Amino acid sequence: MSQPRVTVDGRELFPPEPMQRVLAALATLAQGECLELLLAREPFPLYELLRRDGHTWRTRLEPDGTYVITITKFSAA
Amino acid sequence: MSPLSLEQAPPWSVPLRFFFTAPLFGVAAGVVGAWRGAELVSTRWAPAAVAAVHLITAGFMLQVMVGALLQVLPVAAGANVWRPRLVAGVVHPLITVGAVALAAGFLGLGQPALQLATVLLGAGVTVFVVATGVALLRSPAIGPTLPTLKLAVLGLAVAAGLGVSLAAQLGFSLPLPLGALVDLHVAWATLGWGVMLVAAVAYLVVPMFQLTPPYPLAVARAVPAGLVVALVAWTGGVAFDSRALSWLGAVLGAAALLGFAAQTLALQRRRRRKVTDTTLRAWRLGMALFALAALVALVRRALPEAERLDYLAGVVMIAGAFPAVIFGMLYKIVGFLGWLHLHRALGTAPTMQQVMPEAPARWQLRVFLVGTVLLGAATAWPPLAIAGGAAYAAAFAILFGQLAAAARVQRKATGGAQRKQPEAGQRSR
Repeated sequence: MSQPRVTVDGRELFPPEPMQRVLAALATLAQGECLELLLAREPFPLYELLRRDGHTWRTRLEPDGTYVITITKFSAA
Repeated sequence: MSPLSLEQAPPWSVPLRFFFTAPLFGVAAGVVGAWRGAELVSTRWAPAAVAAVHLITAGFMLQVMVGALLQVLPVAAGANVWRPRLVAGVVHPLITVGAVALAAGFLGLGQPALQLATVLLGAGVTVFVVATGVALLRSPAIGPTLPTLKLAVLGLAVAAGLGVSLAAQLGFSLPLPLGALVDLHVAWATLGWGVMLVAAVAYLVVPMFQLTPPYPLAVARAVPAGLVVALVAWTGGVAFDSRALSWLGAVLGAAALLGFAAQTLALQRRRRRKVTDTTLRAWRLGMALFALAALVALVRRALPEAERLDYLAGVVMIAGAFPAVIFGMLYKIVGFLGWLHLHRALGTAPTMQQVMPEAPARWQLRVFLVGTVLLGAATAWPPLAIAGGAAYAAAFAILFGQLAAAARVQRKATGGAQRKQPEAGQRSR
């Protein structure tokens, strides 16, 4: 997984703004590039959209309670 | 699929039937308080007091908690409940008639009503626990929300099992140890189910809707762990008649509650956008009342003669703290779900504030606070229960009016569009 090119900090944004920003940011990435989403919860609705569109993601939880979701844009390779 | 649709969320009708029924139980609790107020604080065993408490817990609280969990589990924990409309359709009538029968049994209808309550509430809670339990066991979520939700559902199962045993003892005259069962039922229902669930939901909704930083991981894990150890100690204290274990349970339970309330208040102070709406006020009030209840319960342990402090702790926690946080959650969840439903159906929607306006919510919380303070004061001077019960009933009546208004906004906005798309937002599962 490459270094994230974009970071979306959604921790103090009202839903569904974090999801909107992630979808907008994903549209600017090339295939195989990554973005990082910081959130105070696990975004299951977003996971559904990512799964549908073929993107992959990995989620980890930081000690301060922040979920870090690293999303890799769908790659045909 | 719209990019904003939350496909996992069940249809709006699933939680709404619970949300609409719930305030009517609160109104009934206030009416019982006003009608039989002096009796409420005469003894822990007063039937009217038991009826009023269960109108709030098995009535108002259980309705909202069940409805909200069926709605938010997929979004909050990735836990998809099997056929949520069917589960709601079965559970709702069982717990509604069951809670009415329970209160009626204590208010004079006696054994037949208690027998009915035993069967219906037992069945309704069992269906709910199995449906949500299976969904939670299959959830892929990481983090503290999922284990805390699992513990809360386990707490409900234990609390309901103990409650059914108690009602069966009264309804079917079974030879069970009443005092010990009551102590365990109260502890598991308040700490094991109520506080555990509030904590699990808080980890999601406080940062999400009040725009605070997240709960630190260590605190989010320590609160449920503290509650579990407290409950195990308390249960051991009752089972083995051990004063030391009971003390340990009480101190740990109070510490977990105080820690959770203090952390939530601290997060609210650190929110970046300093908007103070009714949800924030309601949660702040709820946390202050949780802390007060914990302190009163601790003082009571040190003063064995001060029996009235039990009633005060009960009023602060059950009549005050739990409903306050539930109001705060309802204001946002109903507004959010109303918005979401309309967005699904129409692709556009009124704002959340239009679905659940702020001004009546502010008034509702004020009237509720007056009612709760008067009911608390009535533990020292019982005649105040009349005014307290009346104000308490009025607060829940206002809440019902707000929900009805939210439903009207939704009907008005969908109008003819829904006739063209009758199943918009109502996936079958």
